[in-house]
Amino acid sequence: MTSFQFETAPELPGADRIARVGLAAIRATVNRLWDIDVHGLEHIPADGPAIIAPNHLSFCDSVFIPAALPRRVWAIGKGEYLDDWKTKHIFPAMGMIPVDRSGGDAAKAALDTAARVLDGGHLFMIYPEGTRSRSTNLHKGRTGAARLAARCDAPIIPVGHVGTLAIQPPDQFTMKPGLPLTIKFGEPIRVEEFGDPDDPRTARTVTDALMFEIGKLSGQRYVNTYAGKDDTPDMPIPTKIAVPPGRAARAPNLVAPDSGEVIDLRKDSRGALAAD
Amino acid sequence: MGLGAQVIPLPANNPIPEIERKFAASKPDAVVLGSTAQWILAETDDLGVPLIDIHAEPPAEAPPVVECDEDDLAFLLLTSGVTSDAKVAMLSHGNLAWAQKAIQARVGEGLQHDDVSLGVLPFSHIFGLNMVLFATLRVGGTVVMQSRFDADESLQLIKKHQITILSGAPPMWRRWLHAGDDDTVMSSLRHASSGAAALPLEVFHGIRDRFGIEVAEGYGLTETSPIITWSRGIEIKPSSVGQVIEGAQVILVDPDGTPVDRGDTGEVVVRSPGVFKGYLDSAELTDAVLTPDGWFWTGDVGVFDDDDYLYLVDRVKDLIIVSGFNVYPAEVENVLMEHPGVRGAVVTGVADVDTGEAVVAHVLGTATAEELATFARSNMSRYKCPVEYRFVDELPVAASGKLIRRELR
Repeated sequence: MTSFQFETAPELPGADRIARVGLAAIRATVNRLWDIDVHGLEHIPADGPAIIAPNHLSFCDSVFIPAALPRRVWAIGKGEYLDDWKTKHIFPAMGMIPVDRSGGDAAKAALDTAARVLDGGHLFMIYPEGTRSRSTNLHKGRTGAARLAARCDAPIIPVGHVGTLAIQPPDQFTMKPGLPLTIKFGEPIRVEEFGDPDDPRTARTVTDALMFEIGKLSGQRYVNTYAGKDDTPDMPIPTKIAVPPGRAARAPNLVAPDSGEVIDLRKDSRGALAAD
Repeated sequence: MGLGAQVIPLPANNPIPEIERKFAASKPDAVVLGSTAQWILAETDDLGVPLIDIHAEPPAEAPPVVECDEDDLAFLLLTSGVTSDAKVAMLSHGNLAWAQKAIQARVGEGLQHDDVSLGVLPFSHIFGLNMVLFATLRVGGTVVMQSRFDADESLQLIKKHQITILSGAPPMWRRWLHAGDDDTVMSSLRHASSGAAALPLEVFHGIRDRFGIEVAEGYGLTETSPIITWSRGIEIKPSSVGQVIEGAQVILVDPDGTPVDRGDTGEVVVRSPGVFKGYLDSAELTDAVLTPDGWFWTGDVGVFDDDDYLYLVDRVKDLIIVSGFNVYPAEVENVLMEHPGVRGAVVTGVADVDTGEAVVAHVLGTATAEELATFARSNMSRYKCPVEYRFVDELPVAASGKLIRRELR
């Protein structure tokens, strides 16, 4: 297990004392029951803000990734978790900040809360897919992490893990001990390397780059659709627009063979990919 | 139009074979030749339709003016042809009138009866036709005609006629930026607009720095009469095409019609009284873009910022999908253009057995493929990096400033 630095944060919700004891207990339990293969911890900054962005396959991702990190990490969770005896103690100890999603602009409240964590110089974890992938594919990322990174000038750490789905399959309450688990942390992604942080187009560019890196770490196949269907845009618009009846399926975007100078770099780029 | 006829405005400078193709697509009953089209009479007297010389003796008795309904067709417009085949969009009187009124609705910023517009955009194109000519005449304003684009002459006309409204395409703005030596020549302008293609940031900044005016970008298509968004009357955000015009609804969607998250990119889908009646003689083409309940799929990908300003990304048709990831050619082109050895770049897709499609760059410049490969790898995610570089002597660019990528496919 990795060495661990507990960060106090009296300015954030969740009592430090309970979190310290709870987190230590969870890390000890995880350490005893699973042998986690952790890579890339050198990419986690020793101090200062960073966004931890993992793929999401199982409920227990929210247990193992904080347990594998060398620093305390915060995340946003549904306020309802505090009403459930199974989660009301463990989740706040793991750094969950409850957000009431029942009224007002819940998305803004969540984002503001996350910004407070990062502006305080802490780690914040967010699943870019927004919800668990039931298909086990890596789904199109939502742009919240990228926009948060731009707003708080924080790097995003892509995380790819394999094994949590077997440890706790969907709709199972218990976690099976002894099964293998690998967690890989990737190189930090900085928004300004992909475009103007103030340009709204940059968020999608950064998000796609993030998903590409997560996919390399997790080995999942990428599909360009959102996971789940729980999204609630805050505009009074139809839930779906009809596709024009005669709209053809997209034709592949091909180039005719060319007689001019052609330098094929595919071999090179694949070789480099394979070496990653 | 007074006769209740449908008008097909065509540019007078097309070569005869192209004119014949456009006649074949739009099937006119008669052709009226204006002063700039007189050369056609010298070349041929048989285009398969009666030719009427505007300078000929008028009939003794003027035909009666016909009352038209909003839904009656007013114009048959050939779309600008950046996509493969010319399509003829049917626009009604109601479509055009709505768009003219819609641009008035930005309070205090609309056209006034004492405004003077420079008519330099071609009136065969919806931007010049409806947003300059008709919109100005509607309020009793004046349009000063410039029959052929010449940057120096434009500046002289602006000064001489104290032009207040100037609308141009990006290549015009680029030429105006470097024309003449009088930096105060645009001081009479109340509004400056750009459309038809993206206005490069350096041109926006150059015009602002030299003439002290900010060019407001707008967005629309022939099929939407054309206005969808505009920066006029609101704070201008460079590289945004502004906010949705009053009376129009815009949603950004995934390919299956699901609205994307706020802040995410999606295809621009619009519903407004300006949305056209369909393509002439082609239910098939119409069905490919228009839903039964009036939503028009533009084929453009965009994203809204938190203040509801729209930013365009690229055309859906130009999208390249590499291992499931969207690659927008414009983004790759912009990165390559940052290399000092590149003067122009056009990116297209190529079939790839492993990734489905892969990126190919057509480059104008002195950089080598190896230099560009290294440069691309350090500036883009790997799946966006071209797998081939093809070096060309020129790149296909339309008069509006749009790249014509299909010519390289």
